[in-house]
Amino acid sequence: MLFYLLQQLINAISYGSILGLLAVGYTMIYGILGLINFAHGEIFMIGAFSCYLFVKFLNLPWFTAALLAIASSVVSGIALERIAYRPCIRRGGSVLTIFIISFAASMFLRYLFMMFFTDERRAFPIPAFFEKMYFIGGIVIGLRDIIIFITTVIIMLLISYFIKYSKLGIAMRAVSYDKRTANFMGINSTLIIKIAFVIGSILAGISGIEYGLSFGIVNPSMGFNPGLTGFIAAVLGGIGNVPGAMIAGFIVGIGEVLFVAILPSIYSPLRPLFVWILLFFILFLKPTGLFRPNVKFDGGWEE
Amino acid sequence: MKQNKSTVIKNRWYYIVGFIAAIAILALIEKNMRGFYLGIFLLFGINAIICLGVTITNGYANIFSLGFGGIMLFSAYVSSLFTLPIQYKASFLKLPEWLEAAQLPFALALFLGAIAAVLASITLVLPAFRLRGHYFILASIGINIVMANLAVNLRSFTHGPLGIRNMPFATNVWWVYGILFLTVIFMWRFTHSKFGRAVITLGKDQTLASTMGIDVVRYKIFAFITGSFIVGLAGPLWVHYTGAMHPEVFGLVFVFQIIAMLVIGGIGTISGAILGAGIITMFTHLARPIQEGFKIFSLQVPPLIGLIQVLMAIMIFLVLMYKPEGLLGKNEITGQILPKLWLRLKEKEN
Repeated sequence: MLFYLLQQLINAISYGSILGLLAVGYTMIYGILGLINFAHGEIFMIGAFSCYLFVKFLNLPWFTAALLAIASSVVSGIALERIAYRPCIRRGGSVLTIFIISFAASMFLRYLFMMFFTDERRAFPIPAFFEKMYFIGGIVIGLRDIIIFITTVIIMLLISYFIKYSKLGIAMRAVSYDKRTANFMGINSTLIIKIAFVIGSILAGISGIEYGLSFGIVNPSMGFNPGLTGFIAAVLGGIGNVPGAMIAGFIVGIGEVLFVAILPSIYSPLRPLFVWILLFFILFLKPTGLFRPNVKFDGGWEE
Repeated sequence: MKQNKSTVIKNRWYYIVGFIAAIAILALIEKNMRGFYLGIFLLFGINAIICLGVTITNGYANIFSLGFGGIMLFSAYVSSLFTLPIQYKASFLKLPEWLEAAQLPFALALFLGAIAAVLASITLVLPAFRLRGHYFILASIGINIVMANLAVNLRSFTHGPLGIRNMPFATNVWWVYGILFLTVIFMWRFTHSKFGRAVITLGKDQTLASTMGIDVVRYKIFAFITGSFIVGLAGPLWVHYTGAMHPEVFGLVFVFQIIAMLVIGGIGTISGAILGAGIITMFTHLARPIQEGFKIFSLQVPPLIGLIQVLMAIMIFLVLMYKPEGLLGKNEITGQILPKLWLRLKEKEN
């Protein structure tokens, strides 16, 4: 039993890293724009799916393909901000309008990919290098799990450093705390929003590729569930709080896997319910999340 | 044109004649329309009912909920358990005795479905009312997912992901348009009643409403119950028209379609909801042949599954960008439109 749990824990860690990276993107964009970027899950999908496409159709080497995939998810993130959100915000659209637009953008991206490539599941190309397995005392550890975990931790440390100490990071925190005052202080909030989208998209792209590596499957509608779970992790971590989102991503990922592992196996199809139960508990007991949120918390918007 | 009292026709014969004409048109349609066109006509009516139900919550009360898919799913399953033939039910479902023996006429099953929808919405939404804004939207998406997941897993009641086939066809023009008519009348009276005005006020400004002495939470719950009841009527109608159901019928694609209708017609008006339902229903049915691939001059165009959703997203985007109030804005088209047009024409002639 203990071995089994340990094994599940190791499997959960890569899932937790994926969610953590997604949650950071959500938390940044929510903190700065005050909007659930519903299409974030689709940017995650674009990262994974375009990596598959680059390898499959252009026969690029895997690492080049992965870099290009991250670039393409950044491009789609910027395009999303430029084409969909910015004009709407400039026209003074209400938060609800922007939410509907992000919902529409999410459906647009997902079904655009579905239109061209259909929704069938495809095998994600995994280089032979990643396939190595280690057996330690009856527990199997894949090299890819280790690499995913280490990459995620390095990226998270870099992002935390960037947010905490660099000038841009401080400006980002200022904008997410109070946009108007930050503007008075000479911070170009349009630029900050763009940078938030770029960083969020890079993280979503990396996380998509990690998802492909760890589950081995990509399809155009893969972004929906991890996307929502990532947002729930962002709420759990205190919205706007970047290190909190990372830790919460791990908590949610590990919790979800252990939830399935501990319950008897007939309940394992109930896995998607776990995060929603968790969300209800969070919002009831501590709606500000586990860590201090970095936005003025008003429980959403008031209109 | 100057607006005066004479434009409002108070003559009740006008309405009676209009009502009889509408019934005559429906009877003609019922008699002559078959297959594809009848399908569009019925789905338009059902979509209009859903849109009206959602208008109460998302438009009047301004509680932006996406959870109506899950609520409809519940009501559809409940009503279908009462209308399925008994032997057929016993052949693939494992129901409790009383439920297996239960066989009700469609009207009662429909009503039970709506009641079930109200109960489900209360239990699911009451906790969520502590939330506002984005958190509420998120929780309401959760309702859809939780309901679909339960439908997949409660195999003895729902037959799991395989769904229920060969459902009795009970929906016809009279059911759909009768309910639509009653819903429109109800909505019209609702917007002019004490309850309705309170709901609309709190939708515009909660703080203002509570300072005016409106019990915000009570009226929100009231609005939600009303909306869920109407939506819960539409769920059984839908599945008894299509004849089959599975846990994903009212999934995210469906929710997106309804939101598209509301946005395009204009959230918060009766005529806007009906107009949006009409446009999107027509659009989806016209675009479906294109989506499934066709031939031009012996050139095979490949199927583009998902084209409808892509175009719908673009439509939503354009409407929100250039006419955020929806195509009709805040104007309501009422029964007075014909006399008004007629008067306008007469004035032009003079």
